[in-house]
Amino acid sequence: MTKVNETGAGKTGAAISEFLKRPLVIALVLIVVLLFAGNALSPGFASGQQILRLLIVAALLGIVAAGQNVVILGGREGIDLSVGGVVSLSAIVGGNVMNGADIGIVPAVLACLAVGGFFGLLNGLGVTLLRIPPLVMTLGMLGVLQGLLIVVRQGIPSGQAAPGLSSFVTQPFLFGLPGIIWLWVLIGVLMALMLTRTVFGHRIYAIGSNEHAAYMAGVPVKLMRVSVFVISGMFAAVAGLCLLGYSGSSFANVGEQYMLPSIIAVVFGGTSLAGGKGGYTGTMAGAVLLVILQSILTTVNIADSGRQMVFGATLLLLMLLYGRGRAMRA
Amino acid sequence: MAKLSLSGVSKAYGATLALRRGDLDIEAGEVHVLLGSNGSGKSTLCKIVAGSVRPDKGEVLIDGRPVTISGPQAARALGIGIFYQELSLSEHRSVAENICLADLPGKSGIFVDRAALEARASRYIALFAGVAGEGFSAEALVGNLRADQRQLVEIMKALSSEAPVIIFDEPTSALDRAQVDRFFEILRQLKTEGRGIIFISHRMDEITAIGDRATVIRDGETIRTLKLSETDPAEMIRLMVGENSDLPSAEHELPAAGPSAGAPLLSVRNLSGKGFRNVSFDVLPGEILGFGGLHGQGQSAVLRALFGASSISGGSLELSGRSLAVANPRSAIRSGLAYVSGDRGRDGVIQGRPIVENAAPIHYLKERLLLARPSALRDKVLPALGALHTKFASLAHPIGSLSGGNQQKIVIARWLIERPEVLLLDDPTKGIDLAAKADLFNLIRQLAAEGMAILLYSSEDAELLGNANRILVFNGGAVTRELTGADRTRYNLYQAAYEAA
Amino acid sequence: MAETGSAKAPTPGGFKRLIERYPFLPALGILIILLALNGIFSPNSLSYRSLTGLVSTYLALIMLAIAQTYVIFAGDIDLSAGAVVSLVNVVIIVLMEKMGGGGLAVFAALGVGVLAGLVCGLINGIVVAGLRLQAIVATFATSIFFTGFALWVMPVAGTPAPALFWRTYGSKLLGLPFVFYIVAALAILLFVISRTRLALQLLSVGDDAQAAYQTGLPVTPIRIKGYLLCGLFSALAAFCVTGDTASGDPLVGGKMTLFSVAAVVLGGSALAGGWGTVVGSLLGALTIGLINSLVFFIGTPSEWQNFVQGLAILVVLMAGILVGRRARA
Repeated sequence: MTKVNETGAGKTGAAISEFLKRPLVIALVLIVVLLFAGNALSPGFASGQQILRLLIVAALLGIVAAGQNVVILGGREGIDLSVGGVVSLSAIVGGNVMNGADIGIVPAVLACLAVGGFFGLLNGLGVTLLRIPPLVMTLGMLGVLQGLLIVVRQGIPSGQAAPGLSSFVTQPFLFGLPGIIWLWVLIGVLMALMLTRTVFGHRIYAIGSNEHAAYMAGVPVKLMRVSVFVISGMFAAVAGLCLLGYSGSSFANVGEQYMLPSIIAVVFGGTSLAGGKGGYTGTMAGAVLLVILQSILTTVNIADSGRQMVFGATLLLLMLLYGRGRAMRA
Repeated sequence: MAKLSLSGVSKAYGATLALRRGDLDIEAGEVHVLLGSNGSGKSTLCKIVAGSVRPDKGEVLIDGRPVTISGPQAARALGIGIFYQELSLSEHRSVAENICLADLPGKSGIFVDRAALEARASRYIALFAGVAGEGFSAEALVGNLRADQRQLVEIMKALSSEAPVIIFDEPTSALDRAQVDRFFEILRQLKTEGRGIIFISHRMDEITAIGDRATVIRDGETIRTLKLSETDPAEMIRLMVGENSDLPSAEHELPAAGPSAGAPLLSVRNLSGKGFRNVSFDVLPGEILGFGGLHGQGQSAVLRALFGASSISGGSLELSGRSLAVANPRSAIRSGLAYVSGDRGRDGVIQGRPIVENAAPIHYLKERLLLARPSALRDKVLPALGALHTKFASLAHPIGSLSGGNQQKIVIARWLIERPEVLLLDDPTKGIDLAAKADLFNLIRQLAAEGMAILLYSSEDAELLGNANRILVFNGGAVTRELTGADRTRYNLYQAAYEAA
Repeated sequence: MAETGSAKAPTPGGFKRLIERYPFLPALGILIILLALNGIFSPNSLSYRSLTGLVSTYLALIMLAIAQTYVIFAGDIDLSAGAVVSLVNVVIIVLMEKMGGGGLAVFAALGVGVLAGLVCGLINGIVVAGLRLQAIVATFATSIFFTGFALWVMPVAGTPAPALFWRTYGSKLLGLPFVFYIVAALAILLFVISRTRLALQLLSVGDDAQAAYQTGLPVTPIRIKGYLLCGLFSALAAFCVTGDTASGDPLVGGKMTLFSVAAVVLGGSALAGGWGTVVGSLLGALTIGLINSLVFFIGTPSEWQNFVQGLAILVVLMAGILVGRRARA
């Protein structure tokens, strides 16, 4: 161990710089910066109403990102590209089961969880039993889901959200915040507990860091891997149902825009795409960050082309702050 | 003037100081051995010379001129070649391609000159003609080769650099006697050509056979350089270990307690599988059964098969009289087996996670826990770590903050929280330092005294001879001899190991 | 020494040996089966004219699959490939329109198109290999950027390509369709590339980047060159798209990216890098084309077509991976 005598100030300085480098802190700082920037560019951006709207959208993204986070933590290049499809499908299924009636909410939730779980199970089985790389498996599943959506749309109406669901998502529930935000907070707490205080959570990290060692230590690797995909599917389904509540009825391929952002939110939260490292609180901040960024770009009056270019460039810039790979030369 | 000279080189990884002050002088025409326990810094020193690690401080001189080694390419240009302990081969490329990879012979700048490539590679392949074994050829894919053959390819690759200074970091760990002899012939030839060779090995007999001078590194600092002709193994070990402690379990000391009489705890009959056939033996409670023989003759294969990590094609197992079928490690653990691997990077350590998560998995499984409460875990984990005298700052620190030997201790500790009935040790001390080895074997003997049945495979004869009640010698996947009582001598061990299968 | 049965070296069995030497064999097998099925359901589809049409339509995907292959060799991936196709497509259309649509305009546009593809490849290479950002997310980000640029060049789809361009693409030269010449030239180009040092180095880096670095290979420049190759072939793919659709569309490349990855996997190359062939990816792209046409020929109702196509591709992907795995095991 080094025997350098660090002065008190030196130690504090080092500790502060370590703290500032944590992804969560970076995300929070950026959120504040962006809120100020947005307000400067377009006064009223950071108003209470606006922030509330941003938080709702962030919650929707955050729920999808929760499932994505678990899959990515599980390692072995885990990723779920089918979440967009599950979100869309779940919105239609939920809408049809509910059909605008409050008593339909519980059956709708169950139906959506079943749908999400089902496709997650297929993904998980493909990845573990057939050893198809997750990128390829979930990509293929996305294609299947998109095709399925076309069929379903021809056959059934888009369904109607129950008033209870809509108000859960859009109307204030507690302390002025809609129920969905509290749901998100609850999910955040449960995820944190799950990852740090349960055997299941520790096992996810284990298979993400060194699958073979986990296997030799008796961790049921295959079961775990299937589970993370089922979890991802179910979270995406919940998000789809909430999305239905947000917009009243489902339309087009509404879930597609959640796929890439869910991955980015996870990366911004400090989780490594290689697995085994990271947590959900960072992802929550990442989701908020991303939503604010997208919102700023929509507010500023530039053409679609400019918006995309700025968005792409900003993403790259932010990635520089977060996740650069290891240098070859140590 | 020294061919290669390092002075004051240091390297820290975050808070861990891997190398505090490294000094080294290599003359032309000598084989210079680097001695030191794991974590002493000698691998770091070599990687700095090879360019894959950047030093924090220090000077490197080649032929008296100070140089800056900015990367592996620069090292090569400066005339330094290296054999990497973990190997630096491309699995899906052929032997010839791997040998010439660093400097592919070209045609008109961008094309590969296949003919020249094959010609150049065959020069180095020819050096090991006759000892490389079946299936070795210039076109064979490296991924299809055995471990010893892969090491040969890495050696050939290092030789093909034709560098005036070549570093060999544990080049003989998987090689058989004939291959080692041929390799040493080549080294002697290189000496006469005036090359400087740095040689790292844990095997004393190899060091004394080929080395001219030796430098001892301990705790990141160069201690002393000796001429091998003027010293003996005991002094070298003393310098490496640092205190005047006696060697753990001196070679000829027989284990104190013996097995209790009675019914065997583990019974194996005609077991066959990948790498072994028709193996039968019993293990009594309190007995330490050793597996001996040359490396790779089926010892590891049997242990892994017993643990369910590889499949069994025939035979039967009985644990405490009940028939046992292990489909995978999970069921083996539930049945009361435990397995400690020598390859901790692959089989043991969960990198990047805290110490406590590395110590807890078996506990989770056996107690069928769902929640992981830190305080309850601490109560379970600390005693197990204490039994091995493991030094660590805090249970929440990542396991990577510990040295290799201490990491292995954590991995072993995970099996001790709940006592298994049978402990399978598959070269558990590979790559850990002497002090840690001593602690481990003390613990193993204690566990045996408490009634555990222990199977021990070690690639070091001294460990087997000093700890096993009986030794089964493996050759070609079958047990050729059993050594008990006074028969447990090094001579008998070697003789049985070399007997025709 | 390694674990061996009786000190015998593990020589690969016949099947495995075959796949090692010709990793694209499973893909070829699947392709032949699909051709047969296509022929059963619609004998016309195997006619000279139909096959020419198939190649003509899917030549772009073939090029893009090849582009993706070089990057995947090195263990990376390029999820912006489709966006690059869109970008080059609109750039050359706009250029040709501005320059009058004659022969000179076409050649100049092609030159600029190649340049544009290389620049995109360079950007990707710098971002992934130079700045060490994770390839999946980073190339997603660049794809957004490139799409934005394409939208800036041509905000609304529909500008037509000059008649010279698409007429040539669909024409016949000495009795053989133009596309056949393109395929022949492509084959020669691929052969030449496979003999270069870069090809071997890309595969080495993909096999084990750390080992390649320790061996002294300049890993970062090699990976960037992989992305440059990808950019080049993406541009070529854009030329084929332009010739086939005869118009500009800033979003044309959208689905192609995912198909290009699927084609590479179908072709037997390892997604993690270090192993594979461009021929396999070529066959993989054709396979996807044949699946799509097969689904059409068996009379699938139009709204079910996407679903069945997606399902069929997934099934074929599984089959391809299973066979490849048995061979690599």
